[in-house]
Amino acid sequence: MNRAVGAAVPAPERPPLARKIDPGRALLTLFCVGVGIFLILPIFIVIPISFSSAQFLQFPPPGWSLQWYQSFFSNHAWINALKTSALVAVPTTILATALGTAAALALIRSTFPGSGLINAVLMAPLIVPVIIAACGIFAVFRFWGLIGTYSGLILAHTALAIPFVVVTVSASLRTVDRRLEQAARGLGASSLVAFRRITLPLILPGVLSGALFALVTSLDEVIVSLFISTAQVRPLAVQMWSDVRGAIDPTIAAISTMLFGFSLVLLLLVSLLRRSSR
Amino acid sequence: MAIVRHIAKRPEVGVFRPASSDGVRFGSAALVAPAALFLLITFVYPVGLLLLRSLSFPVWGIQNYAAIVHESLYLRVLANTVVISGVVTLLTLALGYPYAYLMATGSPSVQRLMAFVVLVPFWTSILVRTYAWLVLLQRRGLVNRALEWSGLIAEPLDLVHNRIGVYIGMTQILLPFMVFPLFAVMSRIDRGYLQAAANLGAPPARAFIRVFLPLSLPGVIAGVLLVFILALGYYITPALLGGPGDIMIAQLIQQQIGEFGEWGIGAALAAILLVGTVLLSAVLNRFLKLDRIWGGQA
Amino acid sequence: MNDAYQFRRFVEQVRSRRRVVQGVGALAGLALAGSSPRLSVAQSTPAATGAFKGRQMTFASWGGAYQDVQKKAFCDPFAAADGVNVLQDGPVDDAKTRAMGESGHSTWDVVDVTDSFLYNASQDGIFEPIDYKVVDRSALIPDYTHDYGVGTIVWSNNIGYNTEVYSPENHPTNWADVFDVKKFPGKRTFPGGSPDVNMEVALMADGVPTDKLYPLDIDRAFAKFDTIKNDVIWWDTNSQSQQLFIDGEVNLGLILNGRAYDAAKKGAPIAVEWNGNIQSVDYFVVPKGAANADVAMAFIQFAGQPAQQAIMANEIAYAPTNPAAIKLVDPKVAPWLSTTPGNREKGILINVAYWRDNLKTVSDRWNQWLMS
Repeated sequence: MNRAVGAAVPAPERPPLARKIDPGRALLTLFCVGVGIFLILPIFIVIPISFSSAQFLQFPPPGWSLQWYQSFFSNHAWINALKTSALVAVPTTILATALGTAAALALIRSTFPGSGLINAVLMAPLIVPVIIAACGIFAVFRFWGLIGTYSGLILAHTALAIPFVVVTVSASLRTVDRRLEQAARGLGASSLVAFRRITLPLILPGVLSGALFALVTSLDEVIVSLFISTAQVRPLAVQMWSDVRGAIDPTIAAISTMLFGFSLVLLLLVSLLRRSSR
Repeated sequence: MAIVRHIAKRPEVGVFRPASSDGVRFGSAALVAPAALFLLITFVYPVGLLLLRSLSFPVWGIQNYAAIVHESLYLRVLANTVVISGVVTLLTLALGYPYAYLMATGSPSVQRLMAFVVLVPFWTSILVRTYAWLVLLQRRGLVNRALEWSGLIAEPLDLVHNRIGVYIGMTQILLPFMVFPLFAVMSRIDRGYLQAAANLGAPPARAFIRVFLPLSLPGVIAGVLLVFILALGYYITPALLGGPGDIMIAQLIQQQIGEFGEWGIGAALAAILLVGTVLLSAVLNRFLKLDRIWGGQA
Repeated sequence: MNDAYQFRRFVEQVRSRRRVVQGVGALAGLALAGSSPRLSVAQSTPAATGAFKGRQMTFASWGGAYQDVQKKAFCDPFAAADGVNVLQDGPVDDAKTRAMGESGHSTWDVVDVTDSFLYNASQDGIFEPIDYKVVDRSALIPDYTHDYGVGTIVWSNNIGYNTEVYSPENHPTNWADVFDVKKFPGKRTFPGGSPDVNMEVALMADGVPTDKLYPLDIDRAFAKFDTIKNDVIWWDTNSQSQQLFIDGEVNLGLILNGRAYDAAKKGAPIAVEWNGNIQSVDYFVVPKGAANADVAMAFIQFAGQPAQQAIMANEIAYAPTNPAAIKLVDPKVAPWLSTTPGNREKGILINVAYWRDNLKTVSDRWNQWLMS
């Protein structure tokens, strides 16, 4: 953490305002270190538990063992669930990001009759309690033969993820000066080119945030997935939720640790790539 | 898409025309169609059928809504849910705004690290995460032991199995939904404005409040909306980390439908939640549009 | 390990004895039907008929270790015996089970449900009536059978206590002790999600004899809970109830026998008192319109056999509903089971019909009370 804070010293292209070491910024940095610790505190409990020799979640672990990693990799139900999650989350992310970004463009860039109603439609999946969504989707998807299929899961997850994209992209779009795009079009660019070359780069942080939320929605969602999955097609979140009746064993801690490790490796890779490309 | 391309070929609008032409308006409005149609088929239709049960189950009428109004429990749980969600939203804003600010104004490597940290809560399954909080917060937990060891407290604090536990657990998991919209907006704010304000002699705090804060409002509103709405639907975290009084509406709906088969009451509660939230977001939207004009003048 | 091995041998022996007896019956049937002599080879498990060869059936339960053992105890042997392909599904969810039954075209054929759900939902016509021409009702304890469901396991709500804090001689022995914060100071735990069981134990603690419990004096039960309200940590999931004991957050309280057994087996210092235990039953039901209802009935009959139920008890400490199964249970597990003679008499079976009619009202009041 501390090293990271050191890196907060601004890059050369920053305006001189930020270059001065000012006490306000030091205080802010300290505050953010606190927030960071708050965010990652639980994982410091989870990682040791995943290497525990105890049969139940116990902290501190009485001894060490790799049994929970073995139990993950030796159980094909877990591996299948991981595969299902990947096969569902990736198309969901792409579909939701495309649909949501387009919708946000329309909502922010134009006024049209019924936009309030359409806004409500776009936000509904976020608001309707999941149990209601699950029961409704289950009844209709059964009729359409989508229960226990990848397409069923992708469609449902995309529906749940669209509002996240709409909200984040809308927020970004509100900050974009439209005159830039209009200028580009005035210079002869088609609206598609103007969007791709001017607007998209400007709203990219919002689009990426939305895509991230879509991905996480698909990976984390339990209740709707529980209704539309079967034993054969069952995502990771449902598999983790599966032992509702019994004791939870540290296998789920092992999965959390692996996901954490995976994202850490990703971070390091991106950093290395950036460094070497400079 | 075909429509878009067709519109795009139309004679161009002048650079200095402030508002969009009819063509552009129509073209970009059509972009909402795919998402809206998709949701109408996969979500609104199935869920609408279910919500209709609030009026049709067990017989047609408004008896379910009447029952909710007359039963003080439902109203109390609704009020409870709104209070918890509101406090969690404020907490995430208080923690998330400075965090996003530092992230947006930091170097790329700082940004990556801070984004990584804020995403950590997503990688832990809800069951493990809750357990980890219990280990940290319970009376003989790590936090209490650390505080006692440091001599700050003599008696362990009750940090979990009560409202405090709910706030801590929910704030941690919902913080990313505040930070990312804020970051997305803040990273687009031209620091030149702040520079200009400073050059005009405004103290940094004043420049921040008068310039940066208004420009970041779209991000604030997006974050507040996301966190508040998501919090309304929470139920596992409050059930496990909270005390007996921390019942939230989603738990009640689950109970009404699963345990009692009261589709009508469950659907009516959901409908009330839906309408209330849509109204709220409409109000926020209106506020935002007004603000955009105001912000444009700044 | 050794115990388990010995038990398995024991079961094998019992099974092979049964096979001889059943083999005679099967031979008689064979002679009558005049079918292929190869059928006798398939007689590796009791009650094998092969009548459903090539058929398929979906079994839905709660997932995790529980369903793994069910698969081993019921599904796999049934599949081997009758030539049925048994598909596993789950975890079940009450709302999903309802939606299945209401649709009238259930893809689940057999579902594991709790007693309260059975009593509530059977009124709404979402289950097929049990075909007691196929299922042998007389083999099971009558309390554990229902027009729409057949009991498969019994579990109970017990007084649990930390064995490092209390000894076998000095521990809470009745519910009055659990409600006595002077005699047994410190936090105690109860399930917070629902008033059933909590009401009963409060009344027992207040001196109501078990045969006079129902109809419950709700006011009196709430008054009793008022006396300890600030000394309770409520649990919401079974694993949480275990965790509270393991972490030492509580030293006594209400815990399910199976959860206490599981924690004790894994080394936690926990024991249960059987005095005043309240028993509940899990039922197998067939949702309305199940495609393979006939196979489902045969499965339910199969799963009620002593050898099958004994596997369940030995592996995961859920008690059998068939009294003949008790004899096949490992003597180390038997003391933990709700239907072991001695334990069963010390407690009562929860009055599910009472709760069916009163749960909603009392539940609302319970939630109000918790929030006040």
